[in-house]
Amino acid sequence: MARVQYSKLDRRHFPKIYLFLLPTLILFAMFYLWPIIQVLFTAFTKWDGFNSPKFDISNPFVNFLQLFKMRGFMPSLKNLFWWSLIAMTLHVGIGTLVGFLLAQKLKGWKFVRAVFMIPNVISSAAWAMIYRFIFNKDFGLLNGIIRTVNPNFAVNWFYESPAAFWAITFTWLFYAVIVTLIVLADLMAIPQELHEAAEIDGASGWKKTLKIDLPLCRNSIGTGVILSITSRIAMYENIALTSRGGPGNDTMGLAVLLVKSINDYNYGLANAIALMMFVFGILVMLLINRVFRMNDPVY
Amino acid sequence: MSQKVIVNGKKVKGSDGNVKKALTPGRVLYLICAYAVLLFIVLVSVGPIVWVIMSSFKSNAAILGSPFSLPDTFNFDAYGKVIGQFSFGTYALNSVLIASSSTVVAIVLLSMSSYVIAKYNFPFKNLIYVLLTVTLLVPGHTKTQPIFSLIMNLNLYDTKFGLFLVYLSSSIASSLFILRSNFASIPKELNEASEIDGAGFFRTFWQINMPLAKTGIFTAGILMFLGNWNEYYFASLLTSSPANRTLPVSLASFNQAFSYDYTRMFAALTLVVLPGIIIYMLAQEQVQASVAGSAVKG
Repeated sequence: MARVQYSKLDRRHFPKIYLFLLPTLILFAMFYLWPIIQVLFTAFTKWDGFNSPKFDISNPFVNFLQLFKMRGFMPSLKNLFWWSLIAMTLHVGIGTLVGFLLAQKLKGWKFVRAVFMIPNVISSAAWAMIYRFIFNKDFGLLNGIIRTVNPNFAVNWFYESPAAFWAITFTWLFYAVIVTLIVLADLMAIPQELHEAAEIDGASGWKKTLKIDLPLCRNSIGTGVILSITSRIAMYENIALTSRGGPGNDTMGLAVLLVKSINDYNYGLANAIALMMFVFGILVMLLINRVFRMNDPVY
Repeated sequence: MSQKVIVNGKKVKGSDGNVKKALTPGRVLYLICAYAVLLFIVLVSVGPIVWVIMSSFKSNAAILGSPFSLPDTFNFDAYGKVIGQFSFGTYALNSVLIASSSTVVAIVLLSMSSYVIAKYNFPFKNLIYVLLTVTLLVPGHTKTQPIFSLIMNLNLYDTKFGLFLVYLSSSIASSLFILRSNFASIPKELNEASEIDGAGFFRTFWQINMPLAKTGIFTAGILMFLGNWNEYYFASLLTSSPANRTLPVSLASFNQAFSYDYTRMFAALTLVVLPGIIIYMLAQEQVQASVAGSAVKG
């Protein structure tokens, strides 16, 4: 490794430089480093939050074993699987499609781009409340629309099985603006010469889109897949403020179980769930990176 | 930018220099489909909010009887009642106070660290930068218990200051991306000149660099403010009394608070949602650009 050269100016300012970094580093230590170390170690201990964590060498996976016995755990894994699948296909698909459409710069594209962002700048708690009203059995927007065709329709979306799973899904399914924005940024960066060359070779509009644009956007689509799955792993408000995981455990999620464990003073269990969320996130990232060959140069 | 596109053997160029493709039947069909998708996106994005706002002007009976009807009159009674009865003022004040103070302090602190990372070389610089930006990969919820216990141990449970502290750390990585690239784009010669003129390290930072980095500071600030203004998870975990409740948390208690007076519920929801939308409108382009930018870097 090449040695970094420090100029006279740099050297003279070393103390002040570290002084400037200090507050940020303290925040980092308090709210990232120490929490992560704590989660990593206490996930393997019994800990009620009052007494000190107890590590039992004969049974280091005590919390994980308890997790599998918890009634909400398997449903939350199952939900996470299906929601991730829907996220990486439909959700990212919608985002990518809108990105490609906006890149055509049809009349009004800036308006659509601006408006699409609005659900993302609203508190997710408020958005969950709005959806609770949209899916309300009596005066909800959705049942109102359906009743214009079928006047006797009355599904209580968030509180009936299997409607609840889909009600939760619809609170996030269409709102793929992040995917749209990053795909759009990638599309804008494609050199015009590539398109011109393809035209000379006689490629039609569709062919250009499928054979040039789509493969060149694989980094942003891959990023979109990672982001959309990690938001499913951490999804909390959409569940906690609507169905609360019910009916039964139909819509249970890991984050809801985590908060429940903290409220039950089972801190070891809470951190076992947290560790699981963290590991899932890393795995998804590595896997998608591989599948989309995101580290290979695009051009 | 003018470019040539060949459609059916004809080169067509619009009056504004943009390419206009010839309207073949296929193109018309394509346009219809494209606009159908875009219309759908606009409807699902603003439809729910428009419906909430409309309903806040309707009577309870009208909400239950005809969910689509437009309100007969625009009467703001429900808003008056929400603000008057529901300690709405306290919650709004808490939200403004916590979100703005944490944003201002965090942006100053993060500007300081971004500035030295952008402008100087020093030992462990890369390590520090990587550590700080890798925080983007840690989902916030995984740190729940440690942060909960930390705030408890500092005796800050159910205080505004506790929430302020947590929000200070809310977006270290994405702010660092924006601020660092902003400081890096300011010419280095400016620093040398100002030091030769006798301005010290601190004055060079505060009086020369900070004003020049104002676009980045503005963007990072808006993004952070929106995040903290909307935050629900930690606010619901770390506060309990109405005196320290923020607006997003107050939403959860709507049902009891309004005893199923839907007009008032919709009015309160409108009041919670609108400030975020307005702030976003003020800085629309920057918010979109940096959301895309920091997502790609992450």
